[in-house]
Amino acid sequence: MIEIANLNGNLGEFHLRDINLKVNKGEYLAILGPTGAGKTVLVEYIAGIYKSDKGNILVDGEDITPLYPEERNIGYVPQDYALFPNLTVKKNIAYGLEARRMPPEQINSIVSEMISRLKIEYIQHRMPLNLSGGEKQRVALGRALTTEPKLLLLDEPLSALDENLRMEMARKLRQLQRDVNGTFIHVCHSFEEASDVADRIALMNDGTIIQTGTLKEVMEAPKNEFVARFMKSQNIFYGLSDGSTVKIGKTVLFRKNPFKGDVLVVIRPENIAIVENENNKGQNVFSGKVENAKRKPYFTEIAVDINPPFVIYSPTEKKYNKGDNIIISIPPEKIVVIEKSDS
Amino acid sequence: MSGKRRNRTIINAFFYSFAGFLFLYSAYLFLSNLDQLFVTEAAIKTREITDIWGEDREILNQFAGGFWKDPYFWKSLNLTLVITLITTLIATILGIPTAYALSRYRIPGKSVVEILFSSLMVMPGSVVGICLIVMFNYGPLWKLQNLLGFKFAHSIFPGMVIASLVLSFAFGMSAWKATFDSINPRFEQVARSLGSSRWRAFRTITFPLAKSGIVAGIILAWTRAMAEFSAVLFFCGTFRELPASRFSDLTKFLQMDQADWVSVAVWAQVEFGNIEYGFALAFVLVLLGGISVYVMHRIGAKGYVW
Repeated sequence: MIEIANLNGNLGEFHLRDINLKVNKGEYLAILGPTGAGKTVLVEYIAGIYKSDKGNILVDGEDITPLYPEERNIGYVPQDYALFPNLTVKKNIAYGLEARRMPPEQINSIVSEMISRLKIEYIQHRMPLNLSGGEKQRVALGRALTTEPKLLLLDEPLSALDENLRMEMARKLRQLQRDVNGTFIHVCHSFEEASDVADRIALMNDGTIIQTGTLKEVMEAPKNEFVARFMKSQNIFYGLSDGSTVKIGKTVLFRKNPFKGDVLVVIRPENIAIVENENNKGQNVFSGKVENAKRKPYFTEIAVDINPPFVIYSPTEKKYNKGDNIIISIPPEKIVVIEKSDS
Repeated sequence: MSGKRRNRTIINAFFYSFAGFLFLYSAYLFLSNLDQLFVTEAAIKTREITDIWGEDREILNQFAGGFWKDPYFWKSLNLTLVITLITTLIATILGIPTAYALSRYRIPGKSVVEILFSSLMVMPGSVVGICLIVMFNYGPLWKLQNLLGFKFAHSIFPGMVIASLVLSFAFGMSAWKATFDSINPRFEQVARSLGSSRWRAFRTITFPLAKSGIVAGIILAWTRAMAEFSAVLFFCGTFRELPASRFSDLTKFLQMDQADWVSVAVWAQVEFGNIEYGFALAFVLVLLGGISVYVMHRIGAKGYVW
């Protein structure tokens, strides 16, 4: 188990502030955040490239904070893969074992096994410069995994690949992690990618971790406005709460909540339903005019004005036009009310 | 479209004729007086001139015949090559780690050090020379020399080494630093995460990638040291006219006594009116520079010694 406790670091232009993070053995964690959030820096601190100012990193209860990178046994795959350009693919993969002064026969058998597992036999004698993005990624993974690291750090491993290959590699990455029962930390900046691979996600912004949890937890219970916006909860409003209802614009939503006064209201667009039966007069049922409807690959995105305007994802094939009157229903339990922070 | 092409042709024609002109001019400069190298009465003529000028330098009377018969020439060449070799070695041993540290580590005052070294490269040798004179004749370095019992200025060891080292080190280091800057630091970080020590990561990844840049730096350091003139002249002066008793046993043993740094010797000979001798020495320097660049380039490019 990896435990990061109160980690602080200062690199001049980048600061890490009070990082607390737990990754269980065999778990796949994705660190998510916008560009400049400090994700790569955090990974570099865990790998030991920088020394932290404060805080500890524990691996299976052992404090590795004072150790050099070579003493940590943490695998690291940087964004550009950093394959050694002066060594062949096979030599690249054998590098970590040679550093451990293993007997050559043993190195050979481990490397051959890894090469066949990653299906890169056909490039094993080539130099890394001439490889494609996907091939480079597999070589970098193989190189990091031969030494059986206690933790593997992947810094945006899929960002250099094209869309189709990215989905396939994400699946393979997940499969590989299960095969080797490894503990992986995967840095990325889109939650779609994180949802393809990760058991749990940690959201980072401005050098600190904002929220951790499963994708469902983070999507359905965002901790603050940043998380809600990052997870693309399109309906985010400032409102006034009296404990049992929340007023946003001219609309009053029924939702029991522990706050009184200014609050933030978050409703995910896929949680709003379109009601066909006009006689349905339940709680939180509103009617409004369609402002805009866009057909997306798996749903229709509808903007409807019920003051304030809401965005709805409708899974139906039904076509909506501008000016159509529709009735929507918002289940109270799907409305997230967050106390408005001063920041 | 045709206009563009014509423009390119004109630019090409201009470039080639300019390059050709430069080549022919430099060839003319060095080859037109080639026969002077083999003049045997040069010294006699010079003696006549100095007689007319009322100067009487014992030194010139010793030279009669081709310059290759003069022990001064061979001793000077020996002196220059040996000191240049020592300087290059010191510059390499100190410069590569310094360049690596400047390129890789966060060091306080790093930019000041970099500006200092870069500004050395644009300074004339005479400025370096006068700085060295002031530096070694006052303050802590003067006290150090008193403690050691010998003076650095106007000496072969270590005076000439110090004078030629300054610019040689600055030029070499700029090449080495540029080389290390161009190599992705992630290579070493990944190598270390794989269990490799810092030294092994350098030896197996960074060094092989930096080879040609390191050789380029050595070439620069070697040629820059050999071509040094004003810093050596200012800091060390000329040695030929000093009596034999002024030289240490070491310099006598190494055949460096009563000799000069070759580029200084060129100046000294011309100054004494012995232009042919000066030209001969200059020609030898041109040859040596050309050969050393060519040889080291070949070695570096084809990886023979590495």
